[in-house]
Amino acid sequence: MLLDIHGLTKNFGGLIAVDHLSMSVGEGQIVGLIGPNGAGKTTVFNLITGVIRPSAGKVEFDGKDVTGKSPHILAKSGIGRTFQLTPLFTDFTTLENVVASYYLHPRSGFWDSLFNTPKYRHNEAYALEQSLKILDMVGLSKVKDERAKNLPHGYQKMLGIARALAVQPRLLMLDEPLGGMNTDEITFTMDIMAKVRGLGMTILVIEHNMQILDLCDRVVAINFGQKIGEGSVKDIRNNPDVIKAYLGEQNVA
Amino acid sequence: MHTESLKRQRRNITIAAICVVVGLLFALPQLGLSVYFMHTLIGVFIWIIVANSLRLLGLSGQGSIGHAAFMAIGAYTSAILAKFLGWSPWITMPIGVLVTVVVGFLVAVPFTRVRGIYFTMVSLFFGIGVLAVNQVFNKWTGGYSGIISIPRLFAYIKTPYYYFCLALMVICLLIMYRLEHSRIGLTWKAVAQSYSVASSIGINEAWQRILCLGVSCFFAAIAGVAYAHYYVILTQETFSFNTSINVFVYMTVGGAGLFAGPIAGTAVLLIIPELLRDLREYVPFIYAAILLIVLFLMPQGLAGLPAQLWQLIKRPARAKRMASEKEVGERAP
Ligand SMILES: Nc1ncnc2c1ncn2[C@@H]1O[C@H](COP(=O)(O)OP(=O)(O)OP(=O)(O)O)[C@@H](O)[C@H]1O
Ligand SMILES: [Mg+2]
Repeated sequence: MLLDIHGLTKNFGGLIAVDHLSMSVGEGQIVGLIGPNGAGKTTVFNLITGVIRPSAGKVEFDGKDVTGKSPHILAKSGIGRTFQLTPLFTDFTTLENVVASYYLHPRSGFWDSLFNTPKYRHNEAYALEQSLKILDMVGLSKVKDERAKNLPHGYQKMLGIARALAVQPRLLMLDEPLGGMNTDEITFTMDIMAKVRGLGMTILVIEHNMQILDLCDRVVAINFGQKIGEGSVKDIRNNPDVIKAYLGEQNVA
Repeated sequence: MHTESLKRQRRNITIAAICVVVGLLFALPQLGLSVYFMHTLIGVFIWIIVANSLRLLGLSGQGSIGHAAFMAIGAYTSAILAKFLGWSPWITMPIGVLVTVVVGFLVAVPFTRVRGIYFTMVSLFFGIGVLAVNQVFNKWTGGYSGIISIPRLFAYIKTPYYYFCLALMVICLLIMYRLEHSRIGLTWKAVAQSYSVASSIGINEAWQRILCLGVSCFFAAIAGVAYAHYYVILTQETFSFNTSINVFVYMTVGGAGLFAGPIAGTAVLLIIPELLRDLREYVPFIYAAILLIVLFLMPQGLAGLPAQLWQLIKRPARAKRMASEKEVGERAP
């Protein structure tokens, strides 16, 4: 398994946001993480990527224990992610967002950058070329010189994915990539996710929109931080606990 | 394509203009620059380095109101070594810079644990702390009354100092410009905009903020040692809280968003009082007036004024053109 989580737990004061959660993601899969609002999905992401430290439990990536490591170390080990909110460098242009995200591979040191060495120039040319390719793939070429903060919401979400791809991750973690998108954008984004998987990447995706299930190989459903279901899409659709959790949410709303 | 060539053209004009200004500055002593004005300009060169080093720190989202303290560490280290050990200033100056950079990195480790306004407050306390250290070691630093008769770099004439400080400023500005426009600057700006996104793409954002502070200290210290061996006197007032605030004002009035900002701000705010020497009592009012005008009317600072004026000229023209196009469009069918 590429990602293994054992008994992951997070307390915020008295609130248990994630409660002894265990799950795994196999290489090349698309795994969905679903659950009602406040179920603890984003917290799971933040625990995996080291944004917050777990109260208990273990995170293993590629067979190595990475529990509680800093976010930049996890990026280095091969995890790219997007954020549910404020996913961007808002003052940069679209292109600058992606170029800046080519920070790890290739990596230019301080002195190479300062003295503009051939190695540095080669690295930067490569980063620019790859960034343009990524923007092309996610359909943002036409707005590459627009400031990120001026982009429409759907484009910003797309740019978040482009930025995460620049890390060249083995595992791509997407937090509600379809949130706030219109139907065309949803179809387009799902196409890109399929394409990304085709490139050999593994995807763990949080989503409210059940359309995402069409893409998933496996789904994990959580509520109140606890796993309430796991398995194939069909299993999840027929799981009474999952249905109850979502119906319950609708009753409240 | 069209905008690309336009951009290149504008860039070439800017480079040409800079060359002319720098050439003129180097020629000024031959063109009969008065000793008094030469003295003013030497000060301008030194403070431009400091104001730009403060802006460099700002690239990573860190604002300091204690930056003069780093100048002080370099200046006092070099001055004390030169005066009491009799070493040549040419040796003590690099040592002063080195010591400051080491101190800068050391204090950066705890300081950069806090961000934004909290960092700014820590920088204030650091500035006060350095002044306190200055008092404690008054045997060498002279405490409040300061240290005088610091060995000079050159004899009593000002011209070599003028060239030295001008060259120092040009070199420092070139390096800072290069830093900002390389990946280093890009990374710092990324960290300033969002540390969580920055760390998600593999940037060790805490280290980048430490690095930025260390590099900024390097330039502040260069200005500090140049100051020490030119003015040859350092007192408690030289690098006080007031000084740090002044530098902050030079930067913001000039325009913190632009590389030319601190340059314009420092030059204008230091030269104007000299031109208005007869109105000396009114200088604080003039300062206040400039500050208010800039704050309310120039969002980009003094350095943004040319672009702002250009917009003003262009806008009516464009409005007229658009209006006529609309008319044509309406008549067309
Ligand atoms: N930093 C924090 N401090 C305190 N409580 C938090 C913190 N982060 C999240 N929580 C709480 O933990 C619970 C889980 O939040 P989380 O953001 O993980 O939910 P989610 O499943 O992502 O929900 P949504 O679908 O609305 O994004 C919520 O009750 C939330 O209020
Ligand atoms: Mg969430």
